[in-house]
Amino acid sequence: MTNLERYTPGPASGAQIRKDGEKWTLILVRELRHSREKIWEALTDPAHLREWAPFDADGSLGTVGTTVKLTTVGAPVPHVTETTVTRADAPKVLEYKWGGFNMRWELEDLGGGTRLTLWTNIGHRFISMGAAGWHICFDVLDHLLSGTPIGRIVGPEATKFGDWQRLNAEYAKQFGIETPNWPPKAAQNS
Amino acid sequence: MKIKVTSIYVDDQDKALRFYTEVLGFAKKTDFSQSPYRWLTVASSEEPDGTELQLALNNNPAAKAYQQAIFQQGQPATMFFTDDVKGDYERIKARGAEFTMQPTDVTGSTIAMLKDTCGNLIQITQLKSW
Repeated sequence: MTNLERYTPGPASGAQIRKDGEKWTLILVRELRHSREKIWEALTDPAHLREWAPFDADGSLGTVGTTVKLTTVGAPVPHVTETTVTRADAPKVLEYKWGGFNMRWELEDLGGGTRLTLWTNIGHRFISMGAAGWHICFDVLDHLLSGTPIGRIVGPEATKFGDWQRLNAEYAKQFGIETPNWPPKAAQNS
Repeated sequence: MKIKVTSIYVDDQDKALRFYTEVLGFAKKTDFSQSPYRWLTVASSEEPDGTELQLALNNNPAAKAYQQAIFQQGQPATMFFTDDVKGDYERIKARGAEFTMQPTDVTGSTIAMLKDTCGNLIQITQLKSW
């Protein structure tokens, strides 16, 4: 069996939403057995990002003031946005924008391990999908840093993945929202 | 191949959805998101399975420059066809839209032009019967 075949995501956990009118923030927390330095590299280095993140970066996100192009993987039309890193306090806090989303990463030392927290303001109708997607990305990141990579699971690869549907429904239930209509009707018919 | 969708850039997708549905009277067709990308389309309620109009977020500097330039030249970003341009003009105006051209006879058609509040001029065209 490959590492991927052995992989089954656990139940929805570690996510909260904060509502500020129309603007909702998704907060995801994951404790990892890896050092902050290792995780910081995976969050900022383009070669690492390509192994787990839902976007590709054309440069390092590790230096404040740098402008980097982010390409959303698997968007229905090519989707490239430019971002400027607004905070990069290695290995603790990283902030930039991904399209219209604010991205804030915080890494807390747990004596060797790390508590990783992501704050991001996904549109509220899609927030459970975002939580499901990041849940799987965090698992992929964990496998990558543990030396048992399972390969990136993002975009259409994620939504085809049965456990993504389950996680989406579980997070929607936890957040008290309806599961968004996914896949869209047009895709279901084809 | 079919022409199934055409796109217009808008500066705010929520605001555009309100304008294109509540003011112009179209119906939301597809709305889904992948990460920061949001695919949003409307269709005419007279023709629900007809060509869709994609309301695409304009976060692209090149597209922004183009959109502003053609707006300043008074050129419409897209046009819709109607059988009653005067009726549509009154109806849409009553819902608060700002027209830059009242229904005006031109060769082969009567046209009107309005602002979509999202960075574009929209032309409404009624073809003359010959």
